[in-house]
Amino acid sequence: MNVLELKDVTKKYGEFVAVEGVCLEIEEGKILSLLGPSGCGKSTTLRMIAGFTTPNSGTVAIAGENVDHLKPYERNVGLLFQDYALFPHMTVEQNVAYGLRYRGTPKPMIPSRVQQMLSLVRMLGMEARYPSQLSGGQQQRVALARALATDPQIVLLDEPLSALDAKLRLELRIELKEILRSVGATTIVVTHDQEEALSLGDEVVVMHAGKVIQRGSPIEIYKAPADKFVAEFVGRSNWFCATRRGRSSGDLSSYITSNGIEIRTRSAPTDRRGSADLCIRPEHIELMDVTQGVVSDEPDQNLLEGVVVDVAPLGADVHVVVDLPGETRLQVIRKNVGRIPTVVPGQPVRLCFAASDVLVFPT
Amino acid sequence: MRHFKSQLLLLLPAAAVYLFFLVLPLWTVIAESFRTFTPGRIGAVAGAPLTVKNYTEFAGPVYATYFGQTYVLAFFASVIAIIIAFPVAYYIAKNASASVRKIWISALVGLMFLSALVRIYAIELTFGSVGILAPFMSFVGVNMNGTAYINIIIIVGLLHYAIPISILIMIGAILNLNPRLTEAAQSLGASAIESHLSVTIPLCIKGIVSAFLVSMTFGVSAFAIPWILGRGRVQFISNIIYSRFSEVSNYPSGAAISIIMLVLSLLMIFIISRIATFFDRT
Amino acid sequence: MLSKRHTDAGLGVLLKATIALTAVFLLLPVVMTVIMSFDSRNYLGQFPPPSLSTQWFTKFAHNGYLWSGLRTSLLLATATTVGATTVGALAALAISRMTAQWRDPVTTAFLSPLVLPGVIIGFALLMAFSALSAVPTFLKMLAGHLLITVPFTIRMTLIGLAGISATLGEAALSLGANERQSFFTIILPLAKNSIAAGAIFAFAFSMDDLTISLFLSDFNTYPLPVALVGLMRSNFDLTLAAAAVFLMGLTVIILIVLDRIFGLERVIGHGIYKA
Repeated sequence: MNVLELKDVTKKYGEFVAVEGVCLEIEEGKILSLLGPSGCGKSTTLRMIAGFTTPNSGTVAIAGENVDHLKPYERNVGLLFQDYALFPHMTVEQNVAYGLRYRGTPKPMIPSRVQQMLSLVRMLGMEARYPSQLSGGQQQRVALARALATDPQIVLLDEPLSALDAKLRLELRIELKEILRSVGATTIVVTHDQEEALSLGDEVVVMHAGKVIQRGSPIEIYKAPADKFVAEFVGRSNWFCATRRGRSSGDLSSYITSNGIEIRTRSAPTDRRGSADLCIRPEHIELMDVTQGVVSDEPDQNLLEGVVVDVAPLGADVHVVVDLPGETRLQVIRKNVGRIPTVVPGQPVRLCFAASDVLVFPT
Repeated sequence: MRHFKSQLLLLLPAAAVYLFFLVLPLWTVIAESFRTFTPGRIGAVAGAPLTVKNYTEFAGPVYATYFGQTYVLAFFASVIAIIIAFPVAYYIAKNASASVRKIWISALVGLMFLSALVRIYAIELTFGSVGILAPFMSFVGVNMNGTAYINIIIIVGLLHYAIPISILIMIGAILNLNPRLTEAAQSLGASAIESHLSVTIPLCIKGIVSAFLVSMTFGVSAFAIPWILGRGRVQFISNIIYSRFSEVSNYPSGAAISIIMLVLSLLMIFIISRIATFFDRT
Repeated sequence: MLSKRHTDAGLGVLLKATIALTAVFLLLPVVMTVIMSFDSRNYLGQFPPPSLSTQWFTKFAHNGYLWSGLRTSLLLATATTVGATTVGALAALAISRMTAQWRDPVTTAFLSPLVLPGVIIGFALLMAFSALSAVPTFLKMLAGHLLITVPFTIRMTLIGLAGISATLGEAALSLGANERQSFFTIILPLAKNSIAAGAIFAFAFSMDDLTISLFLSDFNTYPLPVALVGLMRSNFDLTLAAAAVFLMGLTVIILIVLDRIFGLERVIGHGIYKA
C-alpha cells in the first residue's frame, strides 16, 4: 500500500513556481531519496508533506487519507531537520519525550519508550545532557530518536548529513540506513548530495526546476539518466557536442564533434541526422601508453589520442586530465589497484572507451 | 485571516500606549502652539484666536543664542566623544585580554546605567568650586564662575555619558571587522596608523556615525545637565521649554518651541542617517 | 620606513595615554563622590576630607523628603516594568511574525520615543492631561514612563526572538504540539532571558527619569529624581553624595542581575542602541 501519495501538486510563490505538477507515491517501509540542486523544489515538497506549506493545487494523502486540511501537528509525520532543531533548553530525554507528550502517549509509558529510542540510536546514558553538550553526530542521533519516537507514518529527513564532516558523514549514513530499516520506517530523504541519495534510497527521484525529472533505482539513475541534467548532476561526466554522421554498422552510430573527433555510440534514439550531447563517464575510459603495442581499432570501441595535462593521485582513485586535439579536455578516473600504467604530464596517451558506454542526448 | 487578527490583538496594547500617550499629546501640543496667550493665565483659553506669533517670536537673536548654545555644545561634545572613544574602543575590542575587556565593558555599561542626577552631582563635586581641580584653576587664574568655564563643565557633563555609549557602540562595530584586513594593509606597506586610517575607520564608519548620532541626540535633548551645571547662565532649548511651563505658564509659547525642537531633532537624525548611508560601503 | 616606525611608536604612547585619561575621567567623579560622602565636616569643604564619618548617610536615612521620593520611584518603576514588559513582549511577538516589508517600518515607529527629547514628551503629556484633572499623578507618570520604556522591552524581546531558529517552532509542531503549546514550551522559555533583560532596562530607565516626571509630579507624589534635583538646586550638600552612593549601589545590583541573565557583552552591538 502507498503510505504517501502526492497527486499533481503545485506550489507557487507569486510568479515563482516552486513545485509544478509533482506526483509521488511511496510504499510502506521504503526509503525514497529526493535529489536535486538547491532551489529545485525538493524542500518545498517536503514542507508540503509535513504540513508547513499548503499546495496551490493537487492533493497530499497519507495512508490513503487526504491531509490537505490538516495542520502539521495533526499529521503523524516525523521530521529530521537539517539543523536538527533540538530544543536547547531541554535535556536529551525531554527532547525525545516531547513528541510522545503531545501525541498523547500515556504518561507512564513515556520513559520506557524514550529508553527504547535512545538504545536504538545508541545514546543510552546521555539522557540528562543538553544539546549544547553533544557533538554534531550525537545531536543527529537524538534528533532521529525524537522523530522516530512517536512511530510516525512517514519520516522526512531534510539534508540529514549535511551538517557533519566528511568522515562522520559516511559512518552515520550507514547507521542511519540501518536504524530506518530496523524500525521499518517509510522515509523520504531530501538531499542535494548524490552520494547520500544513491546510498540511502531504495529509489531515487531527481527533481529540477520544480518538476520530477526521473524516478528509478540508484543504478538506473546513474546508468540510464533520463536527460542531460540528470547525467550531469549525478556522477562525473565528460561532454561532447556532436553531429550525427549516419549509421556506421549494425546498431552502431557515428558522431563527429565540432573539433573533428569521431565518437561511436551504440544507442541512437532517432534515425534522422541531428546534433546531440554525448556523455562519457571518466571511469569508463581506459588509459594506455602510446608505446604500448598496437591496439586494433574495433568498431564498437572508441580510440582517441591525447596528451596528459595533470595527474592527481587521490588514494583509491587516480584522476588524470587529458587534452585532445582541438581544445577538448577529458577527465579519466583509474582505480588505484593492480598494475596501473604510471603517466606523467606531457606524456602522449591513448584513450579507449566502449561505444555502449557513451550516453546520447539529442539536442 | 485568524493569524492576522491575533497579530493585531498582540499589537493593540502597544499601539494604544503610543496613540494615547504620544500621538494625541503631540497633537495637543501642535494645536496649542497656534493659540494666543493671555499673560497671567495658565495655558491658552479654550478657543482662543489662532496665531503664528508663538513661532515668530523665536526668530529674534535672543532665542537664536539658545538654539546655538544647544547645538554647538552638543556638537563639540559629540565630536570629542568620538575622537576619544574610537581608540579606546579599538583597544578594548582588539588588544585587551578577555578579563580586562570584561572589566571595561562592565564599567562602561555601569556608567550608562548610572543615574543621570548622580552623574551630574558627581561632576559638580569633582569639577566645581570644591573639586580637585579648583586649586589648580584658581592658580592659573580661571574664573570658575565664568560662562566659558560653565560651558566646559556642560561639555564635560555630556561627555561623561557620550564617551561610554560611543565606546560601547564602536566596540560592536570593531568586533565585526575582519582583522585580516588591517594585516593585509600592513603587509602591503602601510604603517599601523595608515592602515587604520585607510581600512579600519572607513569600514567602521557606520558605527562611528551611529555613535555620533546617539551622542548628538542625547546632547540636544539634554535637560538636567545644563539645568544644574549651567547655573541658569547657560540654557538649552529643553530648559527654555521647561521655564515656559514652570515660570511663566506660557503654554502656547512652550508648545511652539517644542514643535521647533522636534522638527530640528528629526531633521538632524534624518540628515545624519543619510550621511551614514552615503559613507557606508560595506 | 624608520619614520613610519617612529610615528607608530609615538601614536602607541598617545593611545595608552588616551585610554588611561579616559578611564580616569570616567571614574574620577564616581570615586570622588564616594569619598566625599564620608566627609566628617558638616559643610561642603575642599577635597579631600580631613577625616571620615557616616554622618551624611545618617542624614540621608532621616530625610523623609528623599525617602518619600524613593518609595514613589520604586512603586512607579515596578508598575512601569510590569506594564512595559507585557505590552512590549506582546508587540515584539506580533512584529517578529510580520513580513520583512512591514517589520522594519513598524519597528522604527515603536522605537521612535528613544530619539524624542524627554522634555517634549513630558510637556505633551502635561498638556494632554491638563484637560483630565481627575487622573491621579501616579498614573500620569506611569503613562510617560511606559512610553519611554516600551521601546526597550520591544527591542530586547525582538533580539531574543530573533535568536530562536524558526525550525524549533516547526519541530514542535511536527511533534504534535499545537501553536499555543509550541509557544509556551519552546518560544517563551527560550526568549525569557531577553524579555527579562528588557524588564531590567525598563526598571532602570523608569527609576532614572527626571524630565517627564518633573512635568507630571506634584508636591505629594514625586519620584526620587525630582526630589534629588530639588535638593540639588536648593541645598547642594553632602546628603546628596550619600544618596548618590546609595543609587550607585542600586546600579551595581542592576548590572550584576543583567550580567547573570543576559550577559553584559551581549549588550554591546544590540543592547541599548544598535550600531
